[in-house]
Amino acid sequence: MKRAGLVLTAGMLLFAHGAWGAGKAPPPATYKATGKLATAPGALAPLPANQQAAWSHAPFEEGNCSICHEKDDKKNPGPLSMPTNELCYSCHEEFQDMMGKREHKHAAAKESCSNCHNAHNSREKKLLLADTKTLCFSCHPKAKKEIESAKVVHQALNNEKKCADCHNPHAANVEKLLVKLPFDLCVSCHSRDDIKDAEGKKLTNFKTLLDNNKEWHAPVAAKDCSACHKPHGSDNFRLLSMPYPSAFYAPYDPKNYALCFDCHNDQILAEPKTTTLTKFRDGDRNLHYLHVNKQDRGRTCRACHEVHASNQAHHIRDAVPYGPKGWMLKVNYTQTATGGSCAKTCHQTKEYVNKKPDAGKADGKKKP
Amino acid sequence: MSLFFRPISLSLALLLAVVMLPLRGEAFANVKVGEVIENAELPVLGGGKHSLLGKDKVNVFVFFKPGQEHSHTTLVELARCANELAGKSVHWVAVVSDRYPTEEVQAEVKQTGFTAPVLIDAGDALYGKLGVALHPVVGIADAKHALVAYQPFTKINYCDTVKARIRFGLGEISQAELEQVLNPPEASQGGEAAVARRFYKMGERLLKAGDLTKALDSAKKSIERDASQAPSHSLLGAILAAQGNCAEANKAFDQALAIDKADARAVDGKKGCAGK
Repeated sequence: MKRAGLVLTAGMLLFAHGAWGAGKAPPPATYKATGKLATAPGALAPLPANQQAAWSHAPFEEGNCSICHEKDDKKNPGPLSMPTNELCYSCHEEFQDMMGKREHKHAAAKESCSNCHNAHNSREKKLLLADTKTLCFSCHPKAKKEIESAKVVHQALNNEKKCADCHNPHAANVEKLLVKLPFDLCVSCHSRDDIKDAEGKKLTNFKTLLDNNKEWHAPVAAKDCSACHKPHGSDNFRLLSMPYPSAFYAPYDPKNYALCFDCHNDQILAEPKTTTLTKFRDGDRNLHYLHVNKQDRGRTCRACHEVHASNQAHHIRDAVPYGPKGWMLKVNYTQTATGGSCAKTCHQTKEYVNKKPDAGKADGKKKP
Repeated sequence: MSLFFRPISLSLALLLAVVMLPLRGEAFANVKVGEVIENAELPVLGGGKHSLLGKDKVNVFVFFKPGQEHSHTTLVELARCANELAGKSVHWVAVVSDRYPTEEVQAEVKQTGFTAPVLIDAGDALYGKLGVALHPVVGIADAKHALVAYQPFTKINYCDTVKARIRFGLGEISQAELEQVLNPPEASQGGEAAVARRFYKMGERLLKAGDLTKALDSAKKSIERDASQAPSHSLLGAILAAQGNCAEANKAFDQALAIDKADARAVDGKKGCAGK
């Protein structure tokens, strides 16, 4: 226990379920069918003498049993002098504050600090009953399964703090106990040029991208990366929550666009004529349908749109990659009062008109 | 169905735009925040007619489609919101295209627990008029039917966000409180100041238990972590005084009083050490 003197501090000494010094380290807490956490017998006892603790609670290390127990007798400290959380909060008052004020509270922490912490000593930082993943997964089997079965796993799960990199295990101001809104969390890592995916492909520096492109896709503006990405793991590339074509051309199949259609209207690609479903139309000729709904070389969304941010209205790309060498062909999109145009791009300059020049009333607005 | 939108005064529009904090650049394509939506009556799923906007202080309408995960989640979340805001002056409706079979829509809505009227948008006329473009999306209008917030789907904090916008519209929360929900503060763990408080608390307990040596150690550790807390200095003074070291105790009391001249323990400690 050489590092013991460095440890946390006072407050959480709990009467051990098991005997001092004997047996193997017990498993962490697990949910019972009742939904209540059940800490394994002996889990809260000091580590057996044959297991070296890396971290020790200051009152325990100093032998001040009576800080938490009724007696100052190491062999028989008696019961706790107060209910567990009340006792912990008497020194760790900031946790009482956060458990009181923050909107979203971890049920396990609300129930008892000892669901996750051993108040005597531990081989884990923060006096945890087990390493972070083991401890979290013991009550969150769905997350465990999701991660273990995913074809693409978020590498952040292997960062030093593991789950606690993104989640606050006590209480938070954001759902899912997220430390910050998803975007703020994601960009705190994805704002560098040196992050690569599992295949070594460089990932986007989102700070740079978003600083340089002012038209943000709504989920980005809403700081909700999780609208499209699964932060733990996914079967789709880039941790996308649903399928999305990775290529410029793809035969049209609504299933390919499941990701987009979870917010955007699938009918904009299904109906050749419309005056209500999209503004990318020339009169009633649906130009989304025209570009995408083809069985041979349907253009995918990415052919014209930047999914995160661009400098053009409707997230239109400045240029599209064309040919095997990735030549960037300019789109030259211009938005006009009555529609727009794309000039000297995949095709010769073409304009579209979706309303008459004086169509304010027709569009639902009274003229001043 | 006759729908049109009329400009309201520029100053009011600007105020609403700032106050309701819409996502930047986001609104219905044909109706911006601050513009007034004229009401309309639409057929209701299950029979009858119902108005898009009511006479309540706040109007909430959501465009959704059946068989879509985000729409399903949104209706579940809005049902939760509506329950939490039950009894308040809020007019809730959902809007769905008439292209989907009635039975399918009814089954979906029933599953979500959303109980407000579901309006049938024949030929996507309302959808097209407003320039909705997305499913799901929530619009919030005030008592005068001016659009005050546009809220596309978010997977995180959706009910919290919609609820806060409604409560702001009802006058129940302030601008600052709304901002706290839209941009919640980071959930930090407390930092050095919190650790200093723990050492202080432990010092107090040890002093009470009569272990002056360990209490002194705790008080010093507290000050090492955060020297800006008066109680840690006055605790140090009290321990030193209890050890009979009034010269050093007075220095600690002076430190405490420099931070907080009303620190009672330091004031009393100085008196106790006077002349010693």
